[in-house]
Amino acid sequence: MKSDKKEKKAKLFSFKNLFFDFVRITAAPGLLWFRPKRIYENEAAKKKIKGPAIVIANHAGTVDPMYLMMIIWYRRHRFVCKSDLMETKAGGFWLRAFRCIPIDRDNASFSTVRQIVDVLKEGSLVSMFPEGAVNAESDSPAAFKSGMVLMSIQSGAPIIPVYVKPRKHAYERVTAVIGEPFSVIERYGNRPKFSQIDEAAKYLHEKEINLMNMINNSERK
Amino acid sequence: MQITREEIIEKLKDILLSASDDPHVLDRCTDGAKLQTDLGLSSVNMLYTVIAIEETFDIRFDDVTVTSFDTFGDVVGYIEKKMS
Repeated sequence: MKSDKKEKKAKLFSFKNLFFDFVRITAAPGLLWFRPKRIYENEAAKKKIKGPAIVIANHAGTVDPMYLMMIIWYRRHRFVCKSDLMETKAGGFWLRAFRCIPIDRDNASFSTVRQIVDVLKEGSLVSMFPEGAVNAESDSPAAFKSGMVLMSIQSGAPIIPVYVKPRKHAYERVTAVIGEPFSVIERYGNRPKFSQIDEAAKYLHEKEINLMNMINNSERK
Repeated sequence: MQITREEIIEKLKDILLSASDDPHVLDRCTDGAKLQTDLGLSSVNMLYTVIAIEETFDIRFDDVTVTSFDTFGDVVGYIEKKMS
C-alpha cells in the first residue's frame, strides 16, 4: 500500500517548528544533568534515525514525551496525543505549539490516519505511545494498539521501539533502551492480512518487554 | 466511471477476502451484516479496509470515522454515492 517510495528528508528550518526548536535550545543546558543513559538493543539500533520513522515507547508518566525528546534529541518529534487534551485551553495551546497530532482513541477518523501518514511522507519523525494511555500502575507495558502498524504500512516508515525506565527519584537520570528498527512492509509485504497487523503489534509489544528486561538485567550486573 | 451496485459489492468482497484469514467471510457479506460483530472487523481493520477501498475505487473518504458505518450495506451505499 505504500504509494510514495521516495524518501524525503525533514526540513532543517521551518517557521512551523520555531516553538519546538526554541524550547529544545533553551532547555538544553538545564537538561544536561538529566541527559539520558542510552542502551542499544544491537548494532542496528545504534544507527541515527534518518528520514521518516515512527518511534513508539511505553507510557509510564505524562513527561514521557519530554524524555523521548531527550533520548532522540537530534530529531524533531511530532507526537500523537489523545484529542481530549487538545480541548483544554492550556493543554491545547502547548500541544498545538508543539505540533502534536490529536487522535480520538474511541472513534479514530480516517483523516487523522491520513494526516499522520502525510507527516511521515514529509520525512518527519512521529512519536506515539501505543498503550493508548498512561500506565503507571503496572511494571510492564500494557498491550499495544495496532494503529501504528497501519501507519507504517501506508507510509513505509520503520517502527523504532524505545523503552524508557520510569524514574524512582526526580534527581535520577533517565535510562532508555533503543530497539532495532522494524519494517512492517519488509516482514509482511505491502498488503498484509488483518491477522498480520495484529501479529506485528504483538511482536512490538513483546519486543518492548524484552527491552525492559534488557535494562533490568544490565542494572543487576 | 459508471459502476453498478453489484460490481461494487464484488470488489468489496475481494478486498475483504484478500485481507481476512476467514475463508467464509464472503458468506456473511450481506447488506445487513454488521461490520464489527458479523464480519469481525476491529477499528484498525476498518481503517485498513477504507485505505484499500480508496485505492481500488479511486475515491476519497471524507470525515469518516470507524463508527460511521454500521453494516456492509452502509459501506456499499457510501461508495455508490461517491461514484455517482
